[in-house]
Amino acid sequence: MADVKIDHLVKNYNPGVARDVLRDINLDIKEGEFVVFVGPSGCGKSTLLRAIAGLDDITSGDLYIGGKRMNDVPPVNRGVGMVFQSYALYPHMTVRENLAFGLKIKKIDKAIAKERVAQASAMLGLDSFLERKPKALSGGQRQRVAIGRALVQHPDVFLLDEPLSNLDAALRVKTRIELARMHQERGSTTIYVTHDQVEAMTLANKIVVLSPLTDDGAASNLEQFGPPLDLYHAPANRFVAGFIGSPKMNFLDGMIEEAGEQRTRIKLDTGISLTASVDSSRGRAGDKVEVGIRPEHTVMLDDPRADNRVTGTVQVAEHLGAETFVYLEVGGKDFTVKVRPETPAAPQSQFDIGVPADACYLFDAKGQAFPRTARFSRT
Amino acid sequence: MAMVESQSVIYRKLAAHVFLWFFLALIIFPLLMVIAISFRTGNFAVGDIIPSNPTLDHWRLALGMSIIDESGRTIPPPFPVLLWLWNSVKVAVISAILIVALSTTCAYAFARLRFSGRSLLLKAMLIFQMFPAVLALVAYYALFSRITEYFPPLGLNTHPGLIFAYLGGIALHVWTIKGYFETIDKSLEESAMLDGASPWQAFRLILLPLSVPILAVVFILAFITAITEYPVASILLQDEAKLTLAVGSQYYLNPQEYKWGDFAAAAVMSGLPITLVFLLAQRWLVGGLTAGGVKG
Repeated sequence: MADVKIDHLVKNYNPGVARDVLRDINLDIKEGEFVVFVGPSGCGKSTLLRAIAGLDDITSGDLYIGGKRMNDVPPVNRGVGMVFQSYALYPHMTVRENLAFGLKIKKIDKAIAKERVAQASAMLGLDSFLERKPKALSGGQRQRVAIGRALVQHPDVFLLDEPLSNLDAALRVKTRIELARMHQERGSTTIYVTHDQVEAMTLANKIVVLSPLTDDGAASNLEQFGPPLDLYHAPANRFVAGFIGSPKMNFLDGMIEEAGEQRTRIKLDTGISLTASVDSSRGRAGDKVEVGIRPEHTVMLDDPRADNRVTGTVQVAEHLGAETFVYLEVGGKDFTVKVRPETPAAPQSQFDIGVPADACYLFDAKGQAFPRTARFSRT
Repeated sequence: MAMVESQSVIYRKLAAHVFLWFFLALIIFPLLMVIAISFRTGNFAVGDIIPSNPTLDHWRLALGMSIIDESGRTIPPPFPVLLWLWNSVKVAVISAILIVALSTTCAYAFARLRFSGRSLLLKAMLIFQMFPAVLALVAYYALFSRITEYFPPLGLNTHPGLIFAYLGGIALHVWTIKGYFETIDKSLEESAMLDGASPWQAFRLILLPLSVPILAVVFILAFITAITEYPVASILLQDEAKLTLAVGSQYYLNPQEYKWGDFAAAAVMSGLPITLVFLLAQRWLVGGLTAGGVKG
């Protein structure tokens, strides 16, 4: 077990020619934490994981695992175990041989190796497959072998690269729960890469949101590092706000009409005014802003919390039984709302929805968030 | 369950079958002729495909046994055919093994390591290989006669020398194996390295076992090339006792006397090791070795 510290890490596959993949990443991952790296494809989350594993070298900056600088330490001596997205099982070996391979290479005492394999196999329910080759296993079983192979090494840090992306939806949920339980039991530091923010929200103690670097000269592509609910309620910027939450947050353009420490009045481009529980004291009236509203934070107009009213044209309504999503067009922008099941919403009709002031997020022209003065939850 | 076919498709299939049988006959006929000649009395190139007066004399001579002709004279075997065959097999097996070893390691470097000049080297290798070895015969001779001066065991008129010359022709094999390596997911080796394997262990314990089919193919190709090779062997080898069968069997054919029958027996024999190697190697030519290892 160990903590992981990343200090001003930069990764560039071809310095001077190519663009950085990771820029100025600073992370302090505590012992026993379950940290999830999320971000859209191309944001470098897998690269960061590979850099921690030692499969990719670090261009500049430092990496510490358990207090030791690991920049120049080969993967095997870093005390990490990794589960690959593709599983990377050795196809010519049985499950037992797959599990025992690393122990054999490291010349670990046979009795101990046998015990560790038995332990991992029992824990992951692989006992009846031990003599099978990977091709005779289902996707979920292969996945567990891959996890088991990392487990038997007794790693200080457990690295998982999109381990669930090749499983079907039902198995994904099941394995997700198993992973969470495993982490609770073993308590080892775990770093998990995914592009699925539901996985991130459900598994993580802390989430790292990364964004793809463009040529705009951003100082870093680490957008935010914090507990899942902090990211949900207090995203640092528009990128994190748009990435965390499903369906995505809605954004409407506007400008500050009246700045304030507790409440801010915003005039939307559609013409209507909106009150938001946001501290906009660093802004001034007339500043261009974007208002963010989560689909699940909208309320019906008859709700006492419906401080603001937004009107849109219905594009599509999805009745899922437990809930209904209505896709609106508001001032030329898509606007999704989550409403009570079976709420009628005929296509092309006008649809009014209430937006509580406490539910609004506000971002300045650079996409940085203004601090919110309240946290809203519908129930 | 067969698909329902229209009449014209059936005719076209029939035509295809006729063509294929014809083509097959065209390929097999020369082989049958050589076998027929080897059993025909006397040394005649033309005659019935099923010898009217079959004899084992040519085979006896080829196998190193003396025969007694009509006048009662004992005729000893003119050439050490079995020794030549042994020489051929020895040279072919050793050079094929070395070629597989060299081209595999070479292909690994090209497929997995990044170094400057990599693509240039790859292309250059292929381009150099495009010049027929025959055109370089003089160069071969000159090189090996110089080697003889300094290190005779690897020089002219030695089998190691010949094998050494054959090792030059691996460019094509390197390309073949490299292509195969590139189909194997790199994460397998990365995983092995995380498990504590050295690059050499990852190569030997993970990559090689998965590459057996392509190694078998390269072995067979290298073996066939070496056993049938004539120009270089005929330049480098001189003593009768050191010749390979491909070179030696030419001795049967000189303008004074074409010993077609003896030649045919030797020719059929030279085909035997190739057949044997192919049959042995076939069990390694299997697909699906990498199945189940990676997904997505």
